[in-house]
Amino acid sequence: MAPSREAMVNRGDEDEVCPVCKSSRYLNPDMRFLINPECYHKMCESCVDRIFSSGPANCPVAGCHKTLRKNRFRKQTFEDIHVEREVDIRRRVMTVLNRREEEFDSKLDWDNFLEQREEIIFNLVNGIDVAKTEADLQKYAADNMRSIRANQVIEAKEVTSFQERQNQEQELARMRRQAAREEYENERKELLAGREDMLSRLASGRPADAAAIAREGQKVMLKKSSARRSEEERIRQKQAALRGTDAKKPGQPTVAAEEGGSGLIKGLKKIKTPEPEKPYDPFGGIIPNQRDYFTLQDHYPSTYLDPIRQDTRMLAGGYDLQEYYSRTMLEAFAGLGCFIDDELSQRQAHSFNVMKPVGTQGAALAATSTSTAGK
Amino acid sequence: MIEDDFYRTSSQFRLWSFTEDSLRSLRQDTNRLASDRVRDALRRAREARQSANSSAAGTPNPNGSDADSKTGDEKDIECLTPDEEQELVRYFCEQIVQLGESYKPPLPTIVRATAIQYLRRFYLTNSPMTYHPKTIMPCALFIATKTDNYYMSLRQFAEGVPGDTSAEDIIAPEFLVMQSLRFTFDVRHPFRGLEGGIMELTAISQGLGQPAPHNPNQSPDDLRRTMLSLSPPPNTQSSSSISDRLARAHHNTREILKSAAQMTDAYFFYTPSQIWLSALLLADRPLAEFYLDTKLSAPNLDSTHTLTQLRAKLLTTLNDCSALLHSYNPLASDPEQKKALRRIGKKLYHCQNPEKVNLAGQKRIPAAAAAAAAAASVSDPATPESEMERLAKKRKLESEAKRRDDIFGGELVMERTRERQG
Repeated sequence: MAPSREAMVNRGDEDEVCPVCKSSRYLNPDMRFLINPECYHKMCESCVDRIFSSGPANCPVAGCHKTLRKNRFRKQTFEDIHVEREVDIRRRVMTVLNRREEEFDSKLDWDNFLEQREEIIFNLVNGIDVAKTEADLQKYAADNMRSIRANQVIEAKEVTSFQERQNQEQELARMRRQAAREEYENERKELLAGREDMLSRLASGRPADAAAIAREGQKVMLKKSSARRSEEERIRQKQAALRGTDAKKPGQPTVAAEEGGSGLIKGLKKIKTPEPEKPYDPFGGIIPNQRDYFTLQDHYPSTYLDPIRQDTRMLAGGYDLQEYYSRTMLEAFAGLGCFIDDELSQRQAHSFNVMKPVGTQGAALAATSTSTAGK
Repeated sequence: MIEDDFYRTSSQFRLWSFTEDSLRSLRQDTNRLASDRVRDALRRAREARQSANSSAAGTPNPNGSDADSKTGDEKDIECLTPDEEQELVRYFCEQIVQLGESYKPPLPTIVRATAIQYLRRFYLTNSPMTYHPKTIMPCALFIATKTDNYYMSLRQFAEGVPGDTSAEDIIAPEFLVMQSLRFTFDVRHPFRGLEGGIMELTAISQGLGQPAPHNPNQSPDDLRRTMLSLSPPPNTQSSSSISDRLARAHHNTREILKSAAQMTDAYFFYTPSQIWLSALLLADRPLAEFYLDTKLSAPNLDSTHTLTQLRAKLLTTLNDCSALLHSYNPLASDPEQKKALRRIGKKLYHCQNPEKVNLAGQKRIPAAAAAAAAAASVSDPATPESEMERLAKKRKLESEAKRRDDIFGGELVMERTRERQG
């Protein structure tokens, strides 16, 4: 397979000619072709250097009036220029429409989204409604910048973690292989040593014991090998379990996107931003020193209170005129809105009469006791 | 309003606030119970006296004329009506003011006011027929000096009380009074509130006023200008500065609070801040209304706003309260009332409960003393003795019952001695 491919490439290279400068590979074997995703016209590296080194310029291909920049030129990945173009478009659309399955309400919505994305790609590739589609895409990108960015980050993370896992697994496999090899080596050595031992015992022992010794040696071997096998099994199970948990773990929480319903994509989950925890309020909603009827002032002009502000004899003990102000002002309005008539009739409706003639009850007791005494 | 919630926690609001109906029915109940008891007690006393007389005279069967006079007496006992009781209590409230004045230096207004409220609260559940106000009044004043931090020794206090009242007599009903007050000694007066209001009005008049919390757009200058442009209160000459006007309003309001607010039922029906504001309404209506407006109205409020509703409701309440305060008529200026009082005093002399006269003795062994008082005229030495025995027996029975009920059993020593005996 390899030679045929090589041949194909070579054959293609043979008669390759730069459409701009008409120089062929035959004359210049180091010639490399570059394309620009603006118009996908192929040209050689020297042409690109020549035409675009001094800044953006028009495409030299006749009839193509696209303005190209040097830094956008790159190597062609696919042989078919149409495939190359489609892949580029697909990549671009995918970076913008990078919603994830977790963000959708249902499977159907996710599938609809996938279909919609394919539609957009198809339109762009085949030049159907390009202006409108591009505009939609632009608008969506602008509106959903944050969620796009967040999903990109997630994706990048997934990729790196996937690679890490891959590396880890390879490392594990390597170590397993090495352990197996060592084990095999040990076993072999033991087997040899056992055989040696048995032979020497057979040589030194009596002929009657020969059968017994041989049997014993067999048994030891068997025991060892079964022990090893169970050990291996155990390790394998453990690793399998580990892998299982690893596979389950990467269920990242979806990053909350700020836009509930973007115009382009339907069926996105409503994002609930968690209620930010309120700061602890030790007074349970009551603001200390907050009053409804008056605003406490720092100073009230008064001919007989003002001297106190300078009176050391009063201030020395810690007397604070502010306390007096707040108390008098509070008492001036405490209960202004208590309408005793209304509130008492409500209270009596709720409970039995609170007021009980205590004194008369006491007097009643005394009276009855005296009345019994009198008789 | 948060200030109202502060007031709702007070014992004055919880225990000592009434609607007009509930207060009237409470007084009627008290009066009815007391009159029943007075009739019983007087009948017992008479029976005791008669039996003593008859045994002394040695005539076992009373003749018909005696029986007739007895039934006649029975009809004669005419008890005080609730209104008469109220008149009497009011008279003694005025007495408190005068008694406070007689000290050197005079007792502070707030002490006297507290004592008056104590007396009024005491006679909600007790009748003057049971306990004569003359004995309760000095005690209430003495308790008030203690609860209002105006320390006086009892001896010093007793010296100021007219008549031959001993220190012992003054504190004899102390526990009784405290019990009837339900041990709530806190009386919320409108005096300090008035000071606060005047303080703030003064600040406004000098252009230092702060906007009310509900109306942050008020500016000190606006407030001052509105205040200066107020129409002068009726029945005064218009040419006076704003500080004079405030001082006059302050003084008049305080006088009303010292007299009318104390002698009427205002404390039972209204909250202290309502009382002082209605007194201010009486003293200087435009000023009081201006002050209310700074608190409870804001521009562009519709009639359904809570503040507007509160203001309307408050105004009717304040008007009711000021009508009540205005109806007060001092005793000294009214000879009619004096005459009525003299009549009530005489009536009370006849319907006084004889078993409750000697409070000093009653404090020690209440029932026994009452019995002794009832049997005072009887020269039978056996009765008090047997009474004492009976009491001792009763006490013993009670303590045993208590021991039975006590889940932890009686006292250990008692238990052990009983075991040893058993």
